[in-house]
Amino acid sequence: MDFAFSPDQQLLKNSARAFLDEHMTPAAVRLLWDDPRGESEATWKEMAQLGWLGLSLPEAYGGSALGMVESAILLEEMGRAACPGPYFPTVLAARAIEEAGSDAQKKRWLSPIATGDARATIAFLDADLDWRPDAIQTRAETTAGGWALSGRKQFVPWAHVASVLLVPAKTPDGLTLFLVDPGAAGLTLEPAQMMDPATRLASVTLEGTPVTGAAVLGKPGQAGPLLKALLSRGAVGAAAEMLGAARRCLDMAVGYAKVREQFGQPIGSFQAIRHKCAEMLLEVENSHAAVYYAAWALDAKAEDHDLAASVAKAYVGDAARRVCGEAIQVHGGIGFTWEYDLHLYVKRAKALEAMYGDADYHRELIVRRVAA
Amino acid sequence: MDLTYSPEDRAFREKTRRWLDANVPKDDPKTLGERKAWHRRLYEAGYVGMLWPKAYGGWEATPMQQAIVQDEMARAGAPPAINGLGIGFIGPTIIVHGTDWQKQRYLKRMLTAEEIWCQLYSEPNAGSDLASLTTRADDQGDHFRVNGQKIWTSSGPIADWGLLLARTDSKAPKHKGISCFLLNMRQPGVEVRPLKQITGSSLFSEVFMTDARAETRDLVGNLNQGWAIAQTTLGYERGANSLGRVTRYAIAFSQLVKATKELRRGGRPLLEDPVVRAKLGKIYAELEVQRYAALRVLSSLQKGESPGPASSITKLSYTEFEKRYFELALEILGPWGQLIAARDGSRRSTRPPASPARGRPRFCGRARARSTRARPRSRRTSSANASSACPRKCAPTA
Repeated sequence: MDFAFSPDQQLLKNSARAFLDEHMTPAAVRLLWDDPRGESEATWKEMAQLGWLGLSLPEAYGGSALGMVESAILLEEMGRAACPGPYFPTVLAARAIEEAGSDAQKKRWLSPIATGDARATIAFLDADLDWRPDAIQTRAETTAGGWALSGRKQFVPWAHVASVLLVPAKTPDGLTLFLVDPGAAGLTLEPAQMMDPATRLASVTLEGTPVTGAAVLGKPGQAGPLLKALLSRGAVGAAAEMLGAARRCLDMAVGYAKVREQFGQPIGSFQAIRHKCAEMLLEVENSHAAVYYAAWALDAKAEDHDLAASVAKAYVGDAARRVCGEAIQVHGGIGFTWEYDLHLYVKRAKALEAMYGDADYHRELIVRRVAA
Repeated sequence: MDLTYSPEDRAFREKTRRWLDANVPKDDPKTLGERKAWHRRLYEAGYVGMLWPKAYGGWEATPMQQAIVQDEMARAGAPPAINGLGIGFIGPTIIVHGTDWQKQRYLKRMLTAEEIWCQLYSEPNAGSDLASLTTRADDQGDHFRVNGQKIWTSSGPIADWGLLLARTDSKAPKHKGISCFLLNMRQPGVEVRPLKQITGSSLFSEVFMTDARAETRDLVGNLNQGWAIAQTTLGYERGANSLGRVTRYAIAFSQLVKATKELRRGGRPLLEDPVVRAKLGKIYAELEVQRYAALRVLSSLQKGESPGPASSITKLSYTEFEKRYFELALEILGPWGQLIAARDGSRRSTRPPASPARGRPRFCGRARARSTRARPRSRRTSSANASSACPRKCAPTA
């Protein structure tokens, strides 16, 4: 048993840190906040060259076939940098295509994703914002040429830059996943302006949007279990990003407490501040254990992998909120200003709290598993 | 990163489970003699003094194996070993800093619980500021004369020996005038008075030393170096109980869930109440995180690394978790959660028809469940087990 990263994993972490420190400085992140697309094409291509986009894809499609632990390492670093971009939605959608797709679908999408030529996203949520696949109301009806999709998808990550949308919809056979061209007829995108300017979400309205029979991903009616598995993976990924953002906030708070002086001494010498920082460290370290246990459990197909994913999302969601909030308190007024960089990370964690099931949602999943 | 148990550890777990199935006594040992006898069997089976060098009677097992033993003992509801402070902290201190004579004289008898040890550190005016202690040990040539008072002493009434910190140079700066002694507790100058806690039990004592005698040969390390000795060995035994502790939590959690199925509100089981469900989900998430964090510390101990601040984090994390867990259990159980015993002392009559009392959380050596047979009865931690007192030191050290 070894909870520490392997040398290769540590190398990945170090190189991700170095790359993001160079390319995703707070100033660079702020530029992207104001960018209409919200992401950098050049950075995306460099990520592809670094092998990040194909990290967990099969080698046949230009990937490295690494696991969720490696993904979590990258995502933690991205959270630490509040790095804007469709990275995680794309790799999660790629996972769906890899798991359920035909050879043709995989060939069509996975290689371009690995090379940075395509972006993808999954439209999980319908209007009532219920993450349970059973709650999806969007419908697909058969037509002469295939299917027609109708419904309204909410808060779809990075839909405005996606080359393909993965849309689950109800069919007579049950829940089915469709690959949808964002330019298709009857499809309207409305970008939403979010509290975290680095988080780009959009609502997607489908009004009889036509897709061909070849657009079905996997077997009709079989999308439910796949979506649940993707949600577990999404929960762990989001938890990893929140961990990174929370650790950044902790580091900034501790750094500030050492240099900010009041009453003639650093505020870090006051027990009120010291205890706050100790509690923050506790929650960050526990979050680390939760994220990487869950990531490992997914890779190892451990019996408790879904439970661990819910534990990670529920625990880290609460922990990151507290750690980021306390970091603002340690900073005092400066921590609440737009010009100080702390809110880049606070907002990233806040945005992820609500994604892939919030803490309440996952607590209910936990109770179902352990108190049946 | 790989969290699978090695084949050796899995085999070790199997072997331990079989031994416990065959050997855990049907009735809990009650007298000190019975508990020493059970301790002795655990020791002979290789389950006490696991990390100690073989040269001193130990087993040179790995931290993981030690944690597995504690885990399996929790699962089996096995009575704990005793002398935890001695074996966990004091013995290792003697191994590192003691003389050959001290090692010969004390270590084996400590391991076998032939002699019980306590720690004489805290004083009424020296708690977290331990170095301000005022108990003095005056050099009388062939021995030191000890005068002062200690407090919060675990296992006081049953202790034969104590590891004592006392001031030997009152002129030196406070950290530099302290020495470390092995003190015979069975002498006229040492008086032990149990402290009654708000729980009604007495896990700690006050110890009064009036012209007590510490032999010169029982000075540990050099004169006036006691502070450094106390610092270096406090972290010796971290991680031993990590898995067993979480297993006890999980047993207690399933008892709590059982109670939420039996207790009803508004015509339905509490378990169907969304507020209760949210609370259960939250506490269970925290419980699991304790387990993951324990694996993390164990894996670093296993590699011979010092877990550093991680062991302090673990301690802070689980003690606060326990408080939150008990608070939740008390909320859910209502008055049942505050029940200690019926007026006539019978336990049977304390249980409601649906028996949610069985669902009362029983941590801290009291959570008993058998892998092979259920034994739903509570078990009080008694004074000889004080080193495993609830809630600060939840599980016994072995």
